[in-house]
Amino acid sequence: MIELMQVSKRFGDALAVDDVSLNIARGELCVLIGTSGCGKSTTLRMINRLIEHSAGEIHLEGQPVREFREEVLRRRIGYAIQSTGLFPHWTVARNIGLVPGLLKWPRARIRERVEELMALLGLEVAEFADKYPSQLSGGQAQRVGVARALAADPDILLMDEPFGALDPITRESLQDELIRLQARLNKTIVFVTHDMDEALRLADRLVVMNQGRIIQQGHPLELLRRPADGFVESLLGGEDRGLKEAALLPVSQRMVALDDAPPDEQQVAQHATLREALSIMLWRHTERLTVVDEAGRPVGQLYLAQLVGINGEASGRGHDRHHRAAG
Amino acid sequence: MNHTASTATRSSPCANGSAARRWLAPLAWLLLLTYACWGMPWLEPLFRLVEPDSRDVIYARADFFLLLGRHMLVVGVAALLAIGIGVAAAIAVTRPAGRDFLPMVSQLASMGQTFPPVAVLALAVPVLGFGTLPVIVALLLYGLLPIVRNTLAGLEGIDGGVAEAARGMGMTGGQRLLRVELPLAAPIILAGIRTSVTINIATAAIGSTVGASNLGDPIISGIVNGNIAYVLQGALLIGLLALSVDSLFARLQPASPQ
Ligand SMILES: Nc1ncnc2c1ncn2[C@@H]1O[C@H](COP(=O)(O)OP(=O)(O)OP(=O)(O)O)[C@@H](O)[C@H]1O
Ligand SMILES: [Mg+2]
Repeated sequence: MIELMQVSKRFGDALAVDDVSLNIARGELCVLIGTSGCGKSTTLRMINRLIEHSAGEIHLEGQPVREFREEVLRRRIGYAIQSTGLFPHWTVARNIGLVPGLLKWPRARIRERVEELMALLGLEVAEFADKYPSQLSGGQAQRVGVARALAADPDILLMDEPFGALDPITRESLQDELIRLQARLNKTIVFVTHDMDEALRLADRLVVMNQGRIIQQGHPLELLRRPADGFVESLLGGEDRGLKEAALLPVSQRMVALDDAPPDEQQVAQHATLREALSIMLWRHTERLTVVDEAGRPVGQLYLAQLVGINGEASGRGHDRHHRAAG
Repeated sequence: MNHTASTATRSSPCANGSAARRWLAPLAWLLLLTYACWGMPWLEPLFRLVEPDSRDVIYARADFFLLLGRHMLVVGVAALLAIGIGVAAAIAVTRPAGRDFLPMVSQLASMGQTFPPVAVLALAVPVLGFGTLPVIVALLLYGLLPIVRNTLAGLEGIDGGVAEAARGMGMTGGQRLLRVELPLAAPIILAGIRTSVTINIATAAIGSTVGASNLGDPIISGIVNGNIAYVLQGALLIGLLALSVDSLFARLQPASPQ
């Protein structure tokens, strides 16, 4: 879907992006992560040609991006940024309808689409449609920014730290929404962040960059288990990696069937992560939890020994985003 | 007279109910101006106080309405030209193709402000002769500067995220200029025009020295003949005109955000 082949970007003498090759499949959520100034935003902006690459090739569905007219290319690609970039003199509805308007959709269809997107992102139409960006909270503005990026139903979404400036709770709820949206809309998303927890939560493919180069890429679990070098390891949290991995695995993966023993009083939801289960064990001073389904019915149990993986879980299987979406 | 500080963000226009009342101030000043032009002879006893010995205390060589009309015409023509040229120049040097000229133009704009209009007039007369033309040129040059400076400030001051989003969403250069940059810069550009026009209403009076007849006539004539009453009448009318126009601009400017 998106293919970067030995792409470099030079600003004067400085090499901001250095020989980057990346192949992002349709429907994949690819997260670029790295320290500040490592070239994440530059890489992203080269895809919609806000920055022209100096060397290599970038293809979109097999066609070099340079062969598109800039505006045509950008209208096909959703773009959301940390500062939102909402037009302060336009209402929320008009901001969201920007790209459909540029594409000359009929007025009625734009309005319909705007209302659909506002509903999708949890923005009450009656309340927000006629508000101006200065009247929104940071989280609401970010939702509008994402809605605007999705407006013309692009196959590809580029997001540059879209939740960067938010408090942890709002940020998590927006992450959950993105996961839900992605499960439903199946977009190809390139997402830039420097928050590792966010990256691990969202990524199908995690791309670690440093000084303009890709150091390692792969599934989050793969990187956690086999970091290529000390840099990746420390970026992934060093000794915290165990907890980060546990946060990616659902309880259902390590639970065992109920036996004759009476169910433990302490419960954990089937869809919770192993990290949450461990936290409950630590908090309640127990080695065993009863796993329950949504209706609160016991469906299994989880022992500390299994949780820590004494039976050896090393593959990335069981990775489905639904358990996360439901959290 | 520096309105550059006004912000580019705009809030919802919610004060529509009091729209009529917002026009009260400019209307009042305009009415006062008309009344002063028309009823100046009735103020004779007042002017007699400052000029007890002169034979005439009310300037009568030309009708005040005629002088006012000429004054407004000269300032208006100069302002239209200055807006056209100034805004266009500022737009041109903020486009990718004209970027190279940006430092030069913005330096010229700030330098020109220090150049006294009398000097421009003195330099223009030998080239353009006496009359209205050199006055228009002087006012145009002098009035360009606040407009160029403010248009540049407005266009350059647009939030980086907004500019990036406009580009990233696939707007063409023209769409960005007309739908994003100019509307956001409008309050600041308008403030520049306001400064320019208000200053030029006062400056235009010096046009009388090179044979352009306007509200400066009573002032010059008063100075030459030693008649303070004439000077006061010219100054009064120019002041009222400046206040009328300034309060008109104040109405045009969008309300500042809460
Ligand atoms: N327009 C530009 N002109 C010159 N240098 C630039 C430009 N844009 C980026 N750079 C440089 O390129 C490098 C990479 O910048 P980039 O914005 O891609 O970093 P980043 O990984 O997104 O960082 P951050 O996490 O801080 O956003 C930096 O050293 C930056 O200074
Ligand atoms: Mg960045």
